[in-house]
Amino acid sequence: MRKNVMGFMSIVGFVMISGCSSSGAEVSIDDLEEARYEIDPNTPAWQVDDEENVELTWYVNAEWFDRAYGEDVITKKLKEDLNLDITFITGDDSNLNTLFSGGDLPDLITIFDGQSQAALRAPTWALPLRELADHYDPYFHQVAQEQTLDWYQLEDGYTYGYPSYSNTIDDYQADIIPGSDAFIIREDIYEALGEPDLSTPEQFITSLQQMKEAFPDVVPFAFRGFGSDGDVGSIGDTFQNHLGVPIADENGDWYNRNLDDSYLDWIRTFNEAYQLGLISDDNFSDDNTVFEEKVERGQYGSVFASGIAQLSGSLQTNVARDPDQRYIAVDGPKNPNGNEPTLNQAGLSGWTVTYITNKVSDPQKAIQLFTYLLSDEGQYLTTFGVEGETFEFNENGKAVLHEEVLQMRNDNPEEYKKSYRLGEFWFFGHDGFALEHGENEASIAVDQIQKWTKGKLKPQFLIENINPDQGTAEARSLVNINSTWATTLASMIRAKDDAEFDRLLGEYETFLETNNFAAVEAIRNEKMNENRERLGL
Amino acid sequence: MKPNFLKRYKQQLPLQLMVIPGVIFMIIFTYIPIYGIVVAFKSFSVTDTISSAPWVGLNNFKIAFSDPFFWSAVRNTLAISFLKLLIGFTAPILLAILIFELKAGLFKRSVQTISYLPHFLSWIVVGGMLTSWLSTTGLLNSFLMTIGILDEPRNFLVEAQSYWMIAVLSDVWKSVGWGTIIYLATMASIDPTYYEAAKIDGATKLQQIWHITLPLMSFIIALMFVLAVGGLLGSNLDQTLVLINPLNASRAEVIDSYVYKIGLVQGDFSYATAVGLAISIISLILVIITHKITKKLNNRSIF
Repeated sequence: MRKNVMGFMSIVGFVMISGCSSSGAEVSIDDLEEARYEIDPNTPAWQVDDEENVELTWYVNAEWFDRAYGEDVITKKLKEDLNLDITFITGDDSNLNTLFSGGDLPDLITIFDGQSQAALRAPTWALPLRELADHYDPYFHQVAQEQTLDWYQLEDGYTYGYPSYSNTIDDYQADIIPGSDAFIIREDIYEALGEPDLSTPEQFITSLQQMKEAFPDVVPFAFRGFGSDGDVGSIGDTFQNHLGVPIADENGDWYNRNLDDSYLDWIRTFNEAYQLGLISDDNFSDDNTVFEEKVERGQYGSVFASGIAQLSGSLQTNVARDPDQRYIAVDGPKNPNGNEPTLNQAGLSGWTVTYITNKVSDPQKAIQLFTYLLSDEGQYLTTFGVEGETFEFNENGKAVLHEEVLQMRNDNPEEYKKSYRLGEFWFFGHDGFALEHGENEASIAVDQIQKWTKGKLKPQFLIENINPDQGTAEARSLVNINSTWATTLASMIRAKDDAEFDRLLGEYETFLETNNFAAVEAIRNEKMNENRERLGL
Repeated sequence: MKPNFLKRYKQQLPLQLMVIPGVIFMIIFTYIPIYGIVVAFKSFSVTDTISSAPWVGLNNFKIAFSDPFFWSAVRNTLAISFLKLLIGFTAPILLAILIFELKAGLFKRSVQTISYLPHFLSWIVVGGMLTSWLSTTGLLNSFLMTIGILDEPRNFLVEAQSYWMIAVLSDVWKSVGWGTIIYLATMASIDPTYYEAAKIDGATKLQQIWHITLPLMSFIIALMFVLAVGGLLGSNLDQTLVLINPLNASRAEVIDSYVYKIGLVQGDFSYATAVGLAISIISLILVIITHKITKKLNNRSIF
């Protein structure tokens, strides 16, 4: 009997091991074949490559991504211009892991975390972009952002992935990126209270109390809710940015913003507001969907909001329901030290990152696709569609969307998404492009809020990607530290009195000491120095 | 021995053939993946293949056992699961007996259908319903304030000390009706002449239940009990993920959600596999012990 079991297990083992060995030929940058066309640094290769009917498979690590290809305005044009068919595959992290461990990679891969283990180990599975471009499509160097490529360069000196919505220092300085966080208040309430000043703790509390008396049906103050895995909603670093809490101390070392005095003073104020019944307990148990529904119904008097872009649908619904109840951005809580808001937006790391794998069937077409989407053609196409079909250029040379396109955006968002897909093909999108190159009527729901953020954005590139690498002991400590901070912060806002508030804070500081926070801090400092080097600061 | 075995196999050939697809299915989907367990003894990252990752021995287990958050998750899992076993295991038996004793008719059918319904809702839906019912403006608070038990609305989901009870009661509410099905089926197979004889002897309803229904169901109850014990250390994942928030996390984090957080969210696969493996071994031991005990009590073996 035992023999049988052993025999069976060895068969199973054999099947597994042989099943795991990778298949398919790997391409390496040294043995790329010659380009099938004449390469020219001033002409995009897609214009000279007459190879027909290339097919690429593109894995997107987002189950919600629309896999349709060739049916909407954007992908139809893409297909025509590039003679390219794309099969999209979507999935979640477990699908991605299966792809990697199976070794049978698709041609292109888009992931959401440029700091994940997969991204850091890109040399084992992806092709370096600059070298690929030199070989097949040097025009790429004219359209790709140098800063972004440098930022994504790995230790071996190569850059493998290119992100969407990567904002450079120039973008910040040009002031074309819309901010995404603000203190917003319902316009009718704000006016009924006589447009109060909310900048100091006393004025903040008094105004909220007046609001509670005059409008008993609304929750006077709310914020984006907490997540269980250490996400503290909008009241963490988003609020710290609003108060202009510095990101580094005088010596340029990592600064624990959570323990900053001016920030904690405001958390004490929120605690007082909670005790007075101005913040609801539900704020801590509601998930994002419920939070957004409450915004739609105007159930919050004022909100410290983050992610205005994601919230714009709800804000739009709210305005459509009752235009008087529109939320507007006002200055709100101010730092007692006089610091100005230093709002943050996506930095160089951007959002999604797209790679060309070393199993790619047609590396020439793959890099052409990158170049195309990054060039003006691709940017106009993915933002405004096709000239004459969905937009026209006006006398200022700006893109203006057709009336029926705008109308469908408001009346039938689903159909709009399906037939135009504008803004939905975001793999190489840029935040400022629509604003810089188009003149279209802004949505009344977010227009005022985004205008308020103007001039308040400051890059935080220095503290981007400074957490310990996944899978290390320090990363594990940080998970525990972050979830403890979320619990502590929520408990501090709900504290019964000052004594409990101080006790909770003290306990958190002790937790930091006993959970190896010094090591996390050391890694962050080290990575900040690396960032300085990369950014030339 | 051998000729005998072949002879018997030949006699049962049609039945044996029927089993083969099931066996193949089991081999492919449950035995072959066992190989993945070696990840627990390696330092694995997504771009490794299982065979290429370096060995680290028992290191992942050492880390798990020295992590206070792991032990807090173990404590919560045990507490919630034991409470579920205590209440959630007996409730369907009681409900089944009550339904069984009802006269057949519209009322009986309605009770059955209504009690099954929650089983068909996913935890995502139930979680949303619970968050709204338990919120300060929710159903429960309105009710408690109307009858004067509470003066001020309270959000029960942000109070850590209430979490275990919320988890257990919501699970019982969701599963009790569905759990009665197997017991009702067993009761339906009891020969009615037993009850007629008992009635003639003057047995009361309670005596009939005690001396006829329960003894004849004991085998099924034992089977269900062993299965329930096997699940003691797992299966709270969906519920936890929809109900957890930072304020109740100290009581709500269970092993499965912890493994999910470390493994999938943080990408620490080796560590998560080690925790999962440790839990599976403990569950297996629990099943064996319970099986031994029920066998002693029942004098019949399930396996």
